[in-house]
Amino acid sequence: MAWDPEKDVIEVIRGPQKAGGAGGLYRAFGETLRGLKTTFGQLRMGVDTIQYPEQKIPVYPRFRGRHQLHRFEDTGLEKCVGCSLCAAACPSDCIRVVAAENTPEHRVSAGERYAAVYEINLSRCIFCGYCEVACPFDAITMGHEFELSDANRSDLIFTKEMLLAEPIERTPLRAEGE
Amino acid sequence: MPRPVEKLVSLTINGNEVQAPAGMMLADAALKYGDVEIPVFCYDAKIGPPVGACRMCLVEIEGIPKMQAGCSVAVTDGMVVHTDTPTVKAAQEAVLEFILINHPLDCPVCDKGGECPLQDNAFGWGGGLSRFIEPKRHFEKPLALSPLIAIDRERCILCYRCVRYSQEVAEDFQLVLEERGADTFVTTFDGHPYVAPFSGNIIELCPVGALTSRPYRFRARPWDIEQAGSVCTLCPAQCNVSFSVRDERVLRVLGRDHEGVDDGWLCDKGRFAYQAIHVDQRITAPMLRDGGQLRPVTWEIAIEAAANLLSHAGANTGALVGGETTNEEGVLLTHLMRETLGSHDLDSRPGGALELELLRALNAPTLQASVPDLQYAHAVLVLDCEPVDDAPILDLRLRKGVRHHGVKLLIGSSRPSALDERAAHSARFAPGCGEAFAAALGAELAGQPSASLAEAAGADPADVVALATELREAGEEVVILWGERLTAGPRRNEGARALLNLAQELGLDGQDGGGLLEIPSGTNSRGLREVGVLPNASIGLGDAATVGRDSEQIGEALAAGDLSAVILLHSDPLLDQPSSALWQRALGKASAVIAHAAFLTPAVLEHANVVFPAESYAEKEGTVVHPDSRVQRLRRSIARQGETRAEWALLAELAARIGNDPKALTCSMVSARIFEQVPFYAGLSLDLIGGVGIRWSEREAAASFPAAPAAPFTLDPPPAAASPNGLLRLGSFRSIWASPDVEASPALAFLHPRQRVELSPADAERLGIAHGENVTVASNGDSVTGLAHIRAAAPDGTVFLQTSIPEGSAALLEGPLVEVKRS
Repeated sequence: MAWDPEKDVIEVIRGPQKAGGAGGLYRAFGETLRGLKTTFGQLRMGVDTIQYPEQKIPVYPRFRGRHQLHRFEDTGLEKCVGCSLCAAACPSDCIRVVAAENTPEHRVSAGERYAAVYEINLSRCIFCGYCEVACPFDAITMGHEFELSDANRSDLIFTKEMLLAEPIERTPLRAEGE
Repeated sequence: MPRPVEKLVSLTINGNEVQAPAGMMLADAALKYGDVEIPVFCYDAKIGPPVGACRMCLVEIEGIPKMQAGCSVAVTDGMVVHTDTPTVKAAQEAVLEFILINHPLDCPVCDKGGECPLQDNAFGWGGGLSRFIEPKRHFEKPLALSPLIAIDRERCILCYRCVRYSQEVAEDFQLVLEERGADTFVTTFDGHPYVAPFSGNIIELCPVGALTSRPYRFRARPWDIEQAGSVCTLCPAQCNVSFSVRDERVLRVLGRDHEGVDDGWLCDKGRFAYQAIHVDQRITAPMLRDGGQLRPVTWEIAIEAAANLLSHAGANTGALVGGETTNEEGVLLTHLMRETLGSHDLDSRPGGALELELLRALNAPTLQASVPDLQYAHAVLVLDCEPVDDAPILDLRLRKGVRHHGVKLLIGSSRPSALDERAAHSARFAPGCGEAFAAALGAELAGQPSASLAEAAGADPADVVALATELREAGEEVVILWGERLTAGPRRNEGARALLNLAQELGLDGQDGGGLLEIPSGTNSRGLREVGVLPNASIGLGDAATVGRDSEQIGEALAAGDLSAVILLHSDPLLDQPSSALWQRALGKASAVIAHAAFLTPAVLEHANVVFPAESYAEKEGTVVHPDSRVQRLRRSIARQGETRAEWALLAELAARIGNDPKALTCSMVSARIFEQVPFYAGLSLDLIGGVGIRWSEREAAASFPAAPAAPFTLDPPPAAASPNGLLRLGSFRSIWASPDVEASPALAFLHPRQRVELSPADAERLGIAHGENVTVASNGDSVTGLAHIRAAAPDGTVFLQTSIPEGSAALLEGPLVEVKRS
């Protein structure tokens, strides 16, 4: 069917065309004042906004932030043996482990094997903490860091060195009873 | 012994009536027919009779007061079995607790973790608690049982599987258990490394992580990998394998249990030579010879150069096709050669063509034996081949037949065979005299005088009489397992006739459970012949419109300048062809050599003008034909490495550039074309072939196999074997390890053979040669050197050298007699 421009009518509903009178005055000021009452009423409530990033909310101890890999404090060996159980448990499939064998000259972990490659793709991670639960050696834990944004996706693939490094404490931890 | 007849019995398992074949072990029957799992460790039907060592499979059987081991009780009629009573549960928990007493808790570092029967059984049937607080036993770990296998004795649960495998399946008798009780451990005699052709199977057999693969050590966990089923094309046995793939790399190869092909085992070449797919020396980009050097170039340049060379040579092009070529590539090559370049000079058989009539007779479906026939026949005659070198997995099948099914194994070969000690009788003949030997055996069976023929073969006439008597008395199901060597050499046609006469005398034509089974020289030799990659046959073994030159004539024509170009499709004539000297001359004279190769083998390195990278078997798709006529399918398991491209597409592209497009858009399109054009493949499809393959000789379409002349043939009297007369007869063999893939695999490189000179003790003494000395073998001015290997079983007057090795191959020498001296 051809388009008939005559039939294509747009109905526009407008307010009263003529201003003036008491109704006009109310519409001009009354409603505005009613709105401002709410605005000025809030002034005495004080400020609730946190001035992030200058101010930060402390996180709970069990907060699941960025992962950390750990070393034994006494020997300095990595706790991770590259068993890949974290990768098996990971629901978003963001962990990749490639294991290798320790040699007497090159001992990295306490077991027979170590993780030659340990990568977590944090742009995929859903921070569920299953990896931490799966780890038989407490080698991986969820830290408190959540400020992970980056300009490049590939920079969000954290390598073993990045995960082993002592994290910069950017986020305060909630104290007992806080 | 013929196949056992299945008689069904009915028994009750957990209250359900179940029908199972009599004689089957309860654990198997319950799982297969009753859908009830009885956990096992030590039992595997593949290893042979059960020993009941682990007690994991205890069940209650009504009428027997004590619990019975389900793995070692055969089902009987009316048996009432309970596998889920509290008594059984308690027993299972107790056994698992007991097994786990000494088992270390290093699952996170153990390679078996995730695919471990002990984990599965402990999870499924165990109690979950251990009362054991004492220290566990400790061994040094991990130790190298061999360069390929690591052993961790702490993890061993003493199920005896590996030891039984070594003693009863592979029969290499190397693995033993030492000490008693809790101190028992698996070891080899005196701690020697466990090096055997089939050692890798114990890795797959081990139900815990005690025996692990060293090349696979810590490479991946089961959830990191994907399994991709395909076929191993490293030898004609074409075992069904499954590749473990991670990040587009093959990390290990496992067997894909197929009773009709491999019986679930793999040889070490098949298990570890996958490493050659991912080594740096593999050719993964096209190369062009430029200023005497091969240099990598782009595909466009390489294809253009090859197309130019080929269209320039035109009908003066020859082609040699190696055994790893699939049927699809073979068909596209014949298109390129016959229909595009107008040349008929192509061959897939090394050492010359066989008369087409004889080829048809030898491949006739009525005369075809299958691989399981080897195990169930009354007698198997191994004729002029060495299964462990030529098609290794058949060696295990023959051993199984002898051990478990009373097969009478008879051997007629020139080189002492690994199977000799299992044979009812074995006879030796002079190298290259298989024809005369087969003729002698045929004559003896026909009741004709055989002594003169036996002498012509260089064999003891009494041996021939003994073999014939054994064959006659064994029964009607006889399989002749013969090597392609029998039909190679100048008298190849006579060899084929003698073999066919022998089969006729034994009444093998149309015999169920008997027949001929060839071990060809190349993996897919049978398929290539059937799709017409022969100078004298067209597709489907039909008559060729024009008969071209065979491989030997191609070499001569190249050397004489009658042919100017040659295509080497997965073939290195300096390694595969019987005469290196001829091919050195031929390739030196050829103006264009176009090679498809994975490695820079001698001919490619020195002579190729254009080299195209060959796909590895994990990257290939297509079909191949097993020597027992099973059409099998290769599937791509990984991405092609480097710049490698599909070879079928490359062959099609070359033909298209020269001006005759085969219009092959996909590989399966070419497969479909083959199934249409080969009359005896009619009705096949890739879906029908599926994962297990299909034997075309068992299908109805086999009736359209071209008619072949019937035996008996009149035989031309064979010439007498050369008399040593102070010299030695030259025999050659190709070792299982003689392959570029083995040489390139880091784990297997230690097995890659160097030339060794096999001598009998008497000859060695006469020549003053000691074991391990360097010796020189010379004939007509050519010589090769190698280490003397004195072998007690070697026949006097003969020296055996290896072929198909890059340096000092026996193909450099011209027989039949050679001189051996210390160097």
